[in-house]
Amino acid sequence: MQRQSLSVPGKLTSLDRVAEYVESTAHRAGLNNEKTYNLRLAIDEIVTNIILYGYEQAKLEGTVELQTEISAEGLTMVVEDSAAAYNPADTPPPDLTSPFEERPMGGLGVFFAITGVDKFYYERVDNRNRNTFIIFKR
Amino acid sequence: MALGLTSVLNGNTAVMTLSGSLDAGTAPALTAEVQKAIAQNCSRVVFMANALEYVASAGLRVILFARQKLGKQGEIYMIAPQDEVLRTLERSGFDQAVIIRDSYEAAN
Repeated sequence: MQRQSLSVPGKLTSLDRVAEYVESTAHRAGLNNEKTYNLRLAIDEIVTNIILYGYEQAKLEGTVELQTEISAEGLTMVVEDSAAAYNPADTPPPDLTSPFEERPMGGLGVFFAITGVDKFYYERVDNRNRNTFIIFKR
Repeated sequence: MALGLTSVLNGNTAVMTLSGSLDAGTAPALTAEVQKAIAQNCSRVVFMANALEYVASAGLRVILFARQKLGKQGEIYMIAPQDEVLRTLERSGFDQAVIIRDSYEAAN
């Protein structure tokens, strides 16, 4: 079992560092290109929501912590923040069918986050949000 | 992994060449460029996407924004998207919001 972690300020300028961390960790875990991209997208969307809504909109400052455990089967990546309680799984699913001219924009990010990994779950632990993503190599 | 963006407006067509990452940090720059083109009566936006490596939902919102501003008569092209970018469009149904082609000839 290998562990990797990263802590970044809760600002949009941190997204690049998060992406680099996810890609290098996914590479180390032996994920293929498709799974690496799916994981990058999943983590990017959740971290973006934490930064924009958890921190900036609420006028709070904080950090986003990422921790990964790599195993023979794949990896488990945990994203934590100190913003108000928010369970992404409670977000209504996006509208994927109405005409684009009338289609509302919400929900796509969480949709990518939850459908891009093999398991996603949310916990509120010690006044922190903990989002856990599990992805298998095959 | 910033966004590379160059935009050329020729008549009613704006050709925007993209590279790098289109995420929540970089999408506002592209939205501004699309807005500027539409303000100049552009009715066709062509995204040259072969060097675009990554699109998040914030990037799809730019496409939706363009779609809604251009109206039914407008056209959005996505030229030569990489496999994973194309798959992101397909997962969300956004492959139906744009015309996907391998190449774009200015005259057509």
